[in-house]
Amino acid sequence: MAETSPLALPPIASVRLRHGIGLLTVDVSFRLTHPWTILFGPSGSGKTTILRALAGLIRPKSGSILLREDHRQVLLLDTESGVFVPAHRRNVKLAAQRDTLFPHLSVRGNIGYGAHGMTGDGTKFDTFTEMSIEQFRLHGVAHLPPSNLSGGERRKVEIARAVTSAMCARDKTLLLLDEPFSGLDARLRDDLIAHLRKSMESFNIPVLSVTHDVAEAFQLGAEVIKIADGKVVQQGPVDVVLAEERLRLLSQLGPADSPDLSSEPFLSG
Amino acid sequence: MDTQALWLTLRLALTTTALLLLIALPLAWWIASGAGAARALAQAVVALPLVLPPTVLGFYLLVALGPLTAPGRLVIRLLGHPLAFSFEGLVVGSVLYSLPFAVQPLVTGFRAVDPALLEVASTLGASPLRAFRTITLPLAKPSLITAAVLTFTHTVGEFGVVLMLGGNIPGATRTLSIALYDQVQDFNYAAANRTAAVLLAFSLVTLIVIYWRGAERRPLLG
Repeated sequence: MAETSPLALPPIASVRLRHGIGLLTVDVSFRLTHPWTILFGPSGSGKTTILRALAGLIRPKSGSILLREDHRQVLLLDTESGVFVPAHRRNVKLAAQRDTLFPHLSVRGNIGYGAHGMTGDGTKFDTFTEMSIEQFRLHGVAHLPPSNLSGGERRKVEIARAVTSAMCARDKTLLLLDEPFSGLDARLRDDLIAHLRKSMESFNIPVLSVTHDVAEAFQLGAEVIKIADGKVVQQGPVDVVLAEERLRLLSQLGPADSPDLSSEPFLSG
Repeated sequence: MDTQALWLTLRLALTTTALLLLIALPLAWWIASGAGAARALAQAVVALPLVLPPTVLGFYLLVALGPLTAPGRLVIRLLGHPLAFSFEGLVVGSVLYSLPFAVQPLVTGFRAVDPALLEVASTLGASPLRAFRTITLPLAKPSLITAAVLTFTHTVGEFGVVLMLGGNIPGATRTLSIALYDQVQDFNYAAANRTAAVLLAFSLVTLIVIYWRGAERRPLLG
């Protein structure tokens, strides 16, 4: 997004959720105001539950979700008035953490799946699909079934599929990425981040991604919402919210070398 | 060889298979899409023909579709004749009798489809119907083939329901299995031998095809 002052517009999304899952109760309230926001927190803190609620895959006990589309605000959930927009009618695209490629479709079929059901200009959608294949450097494997791909390639297809679907949507979409870069080596991760940034900026699509990786959060340099035990602990710029985690990570590495955080695959709780 | 009975049997099996898939697809989808008392009841009713003597099913249908009941009278008014002792009656009986053979493999096949795939499809904008058509159905294709083949074969082999409901009218209700029974009653063992051989060969070939296809997949029923 090119806006100099994001506060001048209504937030991209206003979210209030309360939902128990297992022993954890997710009880959060936050606003998305930046083009890229990170949900940061340890495993089991409720990050994925928040994404699934945003996507419409679970129906929270109580809460509301207001999404800003191009010229209007859309209420996706409001438990008080009984509003619940089902997943397939939401302009929210999710790339899950788990491998969920359609095994019977080719890479091209997977990436184009979201585009194909759309009403509108079919050739434009095909162009978007080919663009994604090109940008994510998947042209060599586009005709193959997912079972023939490496783990890294499958990850790329997973993300490209959600991205392409977001590009084809008529109104503005929110893209959700659940630990999109986990398990990838640093080079592939840098590659993917670069591609994603480019696509999302040119199509003006806001992103909410989940991570528990400090280095990744700094590399994305985004707004961070810190989550612990199902609650929002803090929200703000990455160098403020994750200052403590960064110091801890640096001290673990020793004072002698000053590593470039952006290129090393560190993991941290 | 009673060719009239052969063609009648094939016509009955094809009609039953086509109708039954239309009924079994939505039914199996509903059963596979959740749990609860209603679905357990539906599954139990669907499975009944597996354990009931075919004569019991035939008897109930004979009574239910005869002039003594309201649905029976309605059918008589619509068709101009009772369902019993007609080809249409055989189709109704066969559909019910083969129901578990169509529904069970489909339920198993639909349940084997990873729900996460359907969730992703929905976030990509696919309605439940489109997700079913483009994800569930293609992934459950082996089960669909199994259901169709089993229904067809089972219908070819049925005897009790046909006898109770259809009797033995050449060209209308006299299927191969009935013809065989007749031939034996007439001490016409040469003809009976040929009829039995045809039925045996047909069943064996079909099962070989299914197991061959299914060898690298999953069990037939369950």
